[in-house]
Amino acid sequence: MLTVESLTRAFGDTVVVDDVSFQVRPGRMTGFVGANGAGKTTTMRMMMGVLAPTSGRVLWDGHDVTAAERRRFGYMPEERGLYPRMAVADQLVYFARLHGMDAPSARARTADLLEHFGLSERAGDLLDTLSLGNQQRVQIAAALVHEPTALVLDEPFSGLDPLAVDSMVDLLRDEAGTLPVLFSSHQLDLVERLCDDLVVLSRGRVVASGSADALRGSARERHRVRLGGDAAWLRDVRGLTVLDADGPTALLELEDLAVAELVRLLTERADVLEVATVRQPLSEIFREVTR
Amino acid sequence: MSTDPSTRGMWRVVAQREASVQVRQKSFRWSTVISVLGVVLFVVGLHWFQGRDQDRTVAVVDAEAAAIVSSAADVARAADDRVSVESEQHDDVAAAEDAVRDGDADAALVLTTEGWEVVGDRDVDSTLSTSLSVAARSAALEANASAQDVDLAALESGAAVGERLLDPTADESGTRQAVSFVFVLLFFLTAIGFGMAIAGSVTQEKESRVVEILAAAVPIRQLLWGKIAANTVLAVGQVVLYAVAGVAALLATGQRGVLDVVGTPLLWYVLFFLVGFVALASLWSVAGSLASRQQDLQSTTLPAQLLVMGPYFLAVLGGEQLKTIFSMVPVVSSMMMPARMAETDVPWWQVAVALGGTVLAAIVLVRIGARVYERTLLRTGDKISYREALRLAE
Repeated sequence: MLTVESLTRAFGDTVVVDDVSFQVRPGRMTGFVGANGAGKTTTMRMMMGVLAPTSGRVLWDGHDVTAAERRRFGYMPEERGLYPRMAVADQLVYFARLHGMDAPSARARTADLLEHFGLSERAGDLLDTLSLGNQQRVQIAAALVHEPTALVLDEPFSGLDPLAVDSMVDLLRDEAGTLPVLFSSHQLDLVERLCDDLVVLSRGRVVASGSADALRGSARERHRVRLGGDAAWLRDVRGLTVLDADGPTALLELEDLAVAELVRLLTERADVLEVATVRQPLSEIFREVTR
Repeated sequence: MSTDPSTRGMWRVVAQREASVQVRQKSFRWSTVISVLGVVLFVVGLHWFQGRDQDRTVAVVDAEAAAIVSSAADVARAADDRVSVESEQHDDVAAAEDAVRDGDADAALVLTTEGWEVVGDRDVDSTLSTSLSVAARSAALEANASAQDVDLAALESGAAVGERLLDPTADESGTRQAVSFVFVLLFFLTAIGFGMAIAGSVTQEKESRVVEILAAAVPIRQLLWGKIAANTVLAVGQVVLYAVAGVAALLATGQRGVLDVVGTPLLWYVLFFLVGFVALASLWSVAGSLASRQQDLQSTTLPAQLLVMGPYFLAVLGGEQLKTIFSMVPVVSSMMMPARMAETDVPWWQVAVALGGTVLAAIVLVRIGARVYERTLLRTGDKISYREALRLAE
């Protein structure tokens, strides 16, 4: 388990990351969301030891992470970086070796990964002759090549077309396995599809964190109702709030009213065509907590 | 971080990549080939200018003259072992003079009523002329002595004048100056070439952002050591290659004498290059890490370039005193001292000052360089000034 504890980073007088704490649990994909400049990249760089924190700790299985342990993490930085004029396989082998693998295992693992990514035929090609999507695959491969113990991926989907995003999602699901995975993204629909846990950052602070289900559960339940006639009268009912009413349909948030009571109330006064619980999309949770 | 044992040897992996990238580069291969050819051509040129064999032909019309020419050949060889003299028989004086006029013979030796005469076209080579007159004189003396029944040996006793030179290597001074220039030139070219390669490869990693992944994998110092190690090995390897090519060419052209004079400075040259290159290497890598794009390198490498270019001009244009002083200034001395050693004999303490100073400078520069490198490598965006870099390293 990868834990961040009271991590803080200031540049001069500006505090970019402020007392940030969260956990990345093994076998779970943790989405890291927040607006531009919220401090996601800075947090991730501190986790990877590329940037020194002003204060706070990064823990691995409960103790301060050592350099040797940190070297086994896989990292995909926000600003993509590989050697443009170096052969694809050569650089993957190089990265594996820098992470401490011996040369034969590095070569074997590189061959496996390239095959898995459908890039075996391009192994000897220079990186900059590959399409952007394929370069991105190599970038992910660079984070995976040394058989990491944890993954920290900064915006792994940015710059990908929808098809490439799909294959990247599948790939991450395959590769992540039992590892703790932290990935940041602007694309909340993607985070929604992929993540088990969520950490929401706003202006350098954690404003929400926990499992995606729990975060959804913490919001009040919403219901959509469709009636035989106009639904506007619901605005006058006590114990609920009408968020939106449009002809026969309305979106309600129950305050001190149980669902059964709502149904009874509705059937007394109108023809009820539909009463449905609305799952609140993460994008809404996000908007609320970062407001 | 640098105390972590699992990363201690990582500089070797870095060095391997660095070296293999360099060696695959066309510019590296060509500069090596061209420089080796240059060294060989230089040595051959040295041989041609300084040591060209001189074959002289003397036209004669009788056996007596031929005998004088043959003893003149001994005299000439004693004066200069590259000169050989041979006689060429002609039917009469007119034919002999024609041979001289046509350039087939360098001179003619003919007997007139007043004695022997050396006939040349416009002038006669002084060595040839002197040796012919000495030979003719002693032949005449010998003939006269036996005709008068005089003991020639007794007559000549005490008349011989020997020669002893206080500075027997002085006539090599031209060669030594030339060798000294070649030392400086190759030092300059190799140091600049590999220096720019170090700076360029650092900036390339910054520019392509790959440095972020590297920094997450290994301590930044290991990256620095790897780069310095790979380029030092390649650069020193190249200099050794030039030295071997030079020595081989000297031996092949029979210039063992030159080797006796410049052999020791050559060994010092390689040693000084090694130390000087390491001292400069940290400066080049800092230049690379201050730049954020390749275009910035022109200005960030300026201090290192000046440190290499300055001694180059000093060595070529500077006066004796200036050279003596600067050949003991740390780092600069690594270029100036071996050049001076090739040129003249340098007191051993000056060599010691030069070497010791540069070794110390290398240690200090590499330490400061590593700190600056660590603190600037991951800063992207703008070019960083040396002043700011030093402040960051405090």
